[in-house]
Amino acid sequence: MYVVIVGCGRVGAQVATLLSDEGHNVVVVDKNPDAFKRLGSSFNGLTIVGNGFELDVLKQSGIERADAFCSLTNGDNTNIMASQVAKKIFKVKRVIARVYDSARAHIYETLGLEVISGTVLFAAMIRDKLLDKRLSSFLIETGDLGIIELDVDEKTAGKSVSDITLPNEFLVCTIVKRCDQHGRDIIMPLPDTHVEKGDRVYGIVRVGSIDKVKKMFGADQA
Amino acid sequence: MYIIVAGAGKVGHFLAQRLLEDKHTVVVIEKNRDVCQKLSQTLNLVIVNGDACEPRFLEEAHIERADVLAAVTGEDEDNLVICQLAKEKFGIRRTVGRVNDPANEHTFNELGVDVPIDATKIIAKIIEEEVSFTDFVNLMSFKRGKLAIVRVDLNDDSPAVHKNLNELVLPPDSVLVSIIRKDEVVVPKGNTTLEPGDDIIALTLVENEQQLLRALIGDLR
Repeated sequence: MYVVIVGCGRVGAQVATLLSDEGHNVVVVDKNPDAFKRLGSSFNGLTIVGNGFELDVLKQSGIERADAFCSLTNGDNTNIMASQVAKKIFKVKRVIARVYDSARAHIYETLGLEVISGTVLFAAMIRDKLLDKRLSSFLIETGDLGIIELDVDEKTAGKSVSDITLPNEFLVCTIVKRCDQHGRDIIMPLPDTHVEKGDRVYGIVRVGSIDKVKKMFGADQA
Repeated sequence: MYIIVAGAGKVGHFLAQRLLEDKHTVVVIEKNRDVCQKLSQTLNLVIVNGDACEPRFLEEAHIERADVLAAVTGEDEDNLVICQLAKEKFGIRRTVGRVNDPANEHTFNELGVDVPIDATKIIAKIIEEEVSFTDFVNLMSFKRGKLAIVRVDLNDDSPAVHKNLNELVLPPDSVLVSIIRKDEVVVPKGNTTLEPGDDIIALTLVENEQQLLRALIGDLR
């Protein structure tokens, strides 16, 4: 893929190096020529000094034949402007903007821009690590849903999936059967599938119902 | 009218003052506290100290009541975002955005700012007009660059001189607005005869501008 990246800060440089190492054609744009020092020695893409939302600079970056574009500077408005230019003027297919401010991120998302808000993402991730090690609420962008991992012990052993489903609160998605020397067995269960002691269950949970679900599975679900 | 001005630099300050004099209700949003303080000492209006790119400060300025929003900060990306938020999130019908770098005017047009104002270009045009020896000056463009007001000076070898206006073949959607003859303003009518030295102010679709010039000046050099 031909990818144009605006902003060569820590995030931009990391993404550029990652994609370049995977063999993609990468062009990085930054106002400050010193920023390109962050690119590792393995980086074999192009660098362009200039303002990432200026039409001439973007043309120079080859945006007209780019498959993907992301704007990753530390300025929300710069990223919003650059990615709209990429999407609406140059018609790039995949466009991603990094936006810190969650309010702005949400609004531009509803306007059809693909936005990644580090602030929202990290806050959710850190919340998960602090409070529920086995919950990943950051994976689902609404923030009030998460994927939770639970172990089946005496309390739930022998029950069917429909017994441990809480409508609108908790839904079992996958059961991983006890691992042994033959590897492990992953099941996408039906309502009448039974869980056994030692199984590991993955389900989607409302963040507000986490304690209720944990209680159902037994106290020992750190 | 209820007008929100985002940015209280020189432009924002002067604009707010003018709007107040015209009896509009003006709210200024400015992120720099010192600038806010200074503004409050000179003008009697509501000032919101905050970043207008954040929706909560637009709400604090009661954007739901606003008829117009003007984003006049020194940063083009900020002005664009402020105008877009006002329009898309709060449904403001008319947004005016200051363009600091002429390279961004096209982008403002494409991304939905109703009235991009490119001060650099306007000043350059005025200076160009004042120092210019050419026969033709584009005075102003509007309607997203589709319409232009131009000034054309007629000289002796113009194909239009000594002709009545109703003999002139003008391209469609072009109209002569006024003729400046020495210090007089002549309102053009069908039987007005054009004279060498006339300055013509015309309104035209930009795509027909070249045809208009050919009719008035002849083949372009």
